[in-house]
Amino acid sequence: MARTSVWRNTLLAGLVAAGGCTEKLTTPASCPEVCPNSSVQLADTLLTGADVADTSVRGYVLTSEATYVAASSLDSLKSMILLRFAPVPTQWVQTATDTVQAVFPPDSVFAELQLVFQDTAVHPKIVFYRLPAQFDTTMSYAQAQAYFVDSAVLDTVAVPDSGNMEARLPISVVPAPGDSGVVSIGARVIADSPTVVAFSSGHSLTTAPALSYFVHGQPPQDSLSRNLPDTATFTTFVQSPAVVQPPPGVLAIGGLPAAHSLVHLSLPSVAVDSIGVVRATLLLHLVRPAVGFPGDSFFVNAFPILRDYGPKSVLFPDTLITGVAVIHAGQTGTVEIDIAPILRIWGTTSGDSMPRAIMLGVFAEGYALGEVDIQGRLAGGGGPQLEVTYVKKYEVGVP
Amino acid sequence: MTRFLPGLLAVAALLGARPAAAQDSVFGIRGLGFLGEPISAHSAALGGGESMFDGSSAVSPASLASWRTLAGWAVGAQSERTFNPGTGAVSLSSMRFPMFGFAAPVGNRLVIGVNVSDYLNRNWDVQRTDTVMPRDSALPVTDRTRSLGGVTDIRFAAAYRVSSRIALGVGLHVLTGSVQTAVERDFPTDSTYHTFGQVTETDYHGLGASLGLFVSPIPRVVVGASARINGRLSEINPGGNASVRLPTELAGGLYVTPWDGVMVATTVIHDNWSVAAPTLVADSQPPSRDVWSVGAGAEVTLLKLFGEVTPLRAGYRWRQLPFPVGTAALSERAVSGGLSFALAGGRANVDLTVEGGSRTAGALTESFTTILVGLSIFP
Repeated sequence: MARTSVWRNTLLAGLVAAGGCTEKLTTPASCPEVCPNSSVQLADTLLTGADVADTSVRGYVLTSEATYVAASSLDSLKSMILLRFAPVPTQWVQTATDTVQAVFPPDSVFAELQLVFQDTAVHPKIVFYRLPAQFDTTMSYAQAQAYFVDSAVLDTVAVPDSGNMEARLPISVVPAPGDSGVVSIGARVIADSPTVVAFSSGHSLTTAPALSYFVHGQPPQDSLSRNLPDTATFTTFVQSPAVVQPPPGVLAIGGLPAAHSLVHLSLPSVAVDSIGVVRATLLLHLVRPAVGFPGDSFFVNAFPILRDYGPKSVLFPDTLITGVAVIHAGQTGTVEIDIAPILRIWGTTSGDSMPRAIMLGVFAEGYALGEVDIQGRLAGGGGPQLEVTYVKKYEVGVP
Repeated sequence: MTRFLPGLLAVAALLGARPAAAQDSVFGIRGLGFLGEPISAHSAALGGGESMFDGSSAVSPASLASWRTLAGWAVGAQSERTFNPGTGAVSLSSMRFPMFGFAAPVGNRLVIGVNVSDYLNRNWDVQRTDTVMPRDSALPVTDRTRSLGGVTDIRFAAAYRVSSRIALGVGLHVLTGSVQTAVERDFPTDSTYHTFGQVTETDYHGLGASLGLFVSPIPRVVVGASARINGRLSEINPGGNASVRLPTELAGGLYVTPWDGVMVATTVIHDNWSVAAPTLVADSQPPSRDVWSVGAGAEVTLLKLFGEVTPLRAGYRWRQLPFPVGTAALSERAVSGGLSFALAGGRANVDLTVEGGSRTAGALTESFTTILVGLSIFP
């Protein structure tokens, strides 16, 4: 009986070992002799009339909500920065002696801005101007010109290669006690060649422009000193050409205020398939060079729409099925965006109820200067086109 | 040992319920697949020569009459193959469990049994590279086509010992199974293209009946004959339904024990697979053909190991396969050998078989070496 147990154990061990064998499965095909009967066949189609309805809407991110402010002298974009700061404190307390001290007049005032973008090869300078404390926040570039005059110049500072830029402002910029205490300043760029300089605005956790008031105590505490910070509460920039609703036949994407374009598609069944679509390229024809920081790039995204409520449509919350194209400033021609993941999800059971519409926008909106204008459906050459490469239906042969 | 039987059968049933993910031959791509052989490990050692008379094989239902006690059996096969498609040899391997079954006597003369075995094996996996021209640009692609599954033959049979010289058997064959065909195209050099993949499942159903007769006209000689008639094999998949005629199988065999301890046997089988040709031609495939299968072997039971008789076996088999490769007919030949070990005082038996051979179709050759392990128990 003991011998039987040994045999049994050996047998079981053998069976277990045999069952755990590594298998090599794949054979290179020897066609046509030893090949499957059916093969995968690709087909292409260019859908020139896929765009059946489109529109652009501006205002998703306002200029005063962007994370940057830009001073530009580019041919494609001229802009000036407008900054308004919180009221200047009238007093400060010397805590060691518990003595109240007056701020006005301060010893000195500095403006400090964090650099976001500049072209170091151009060596630009920023000219600071005094603005009315309560300037019109909706004024245009042309209207703002009235304030950017030589008599209002506060300081001119060379832009450093990186880090923070600091400008010493005259004491006269500080309003006398009894006034609103609000300081507003403007900035424009000057350089030997067209350029753009951008600073962080303070939105979305960026560093806001700030004023620093250096003060000292009154006698007999006149040896005491203090640096009082004052951050900007409103930041924006005015632009030329003015940002307006694009004309018929043009769809705007990006810019500030940020624009989205909503495109409704009409697609044949072969283009809406959860597995058969292997490549789908949305072709956007630019009507002018892409606007952006020189030498910089940004993204144009194509989002599928979950519920179509026009400009306030609900986007499908999955970045994996979002089409993305990298746009370089100055780019012309045609932008290609892969939207195969969108067409594939429309072909699924759950995605079948989704509207056949996509929202085009810039990523990350309000974080970088970026705008493209594309041909819409009403343009002479037609709107966005769709080139689809798909697998013809794979037939499993009968016995 | 009675505790061992249910466990063994459960394992065998589990393994048999889902065919192992491996291909038995690249030639299984053609036609309906690669023909299974419903023979046990020890019949395989005899080149299939004894399969007509082997109770654990499913060639003739009359063979169940050889069982005098409850019996269960299962076979495992590890195969190593080398295929040369003309561009260099490729090594392949697979592990399968092609057959299991059991038999039980009812009274003194009647034996009933069930045998589950491969009928058509459609396990294969092929990869090829190509260059296509989507959007008027050359694009390398890799296509992989996989087929997993096949058709299983479940035979319910009964055999009756009319006398000491005559045995009869009848069987009902239920053909069932499914095949998952997966097609995948990958674009290895261009990430802007998304991988295409599609899986289609096809179900198969069919019925058949078999009849077997053994006669021993003189002592030490048994002559056997059997016939199997099949209905149509139905296929159901999302693309529609279809059916194909299956062949009638006629088999004959001779079993001789010229001396004590020595046995020789041969089995010849003919299948008129040409009846399936019209359906295959309609599907743009080469027509199938009638095929012969011949096997012969000898067993010597003079050796004893550990006090138990240890049969030594050798055999040779040759068979034609019904689905041609292009215009070339496909055939298979193999030599085999093996031995058995009795365990547990004769209440269990292990058969070890090694088989080596080749399959040839025109210039294409596939050589193989298969190790079969058969386990039989008699609680």
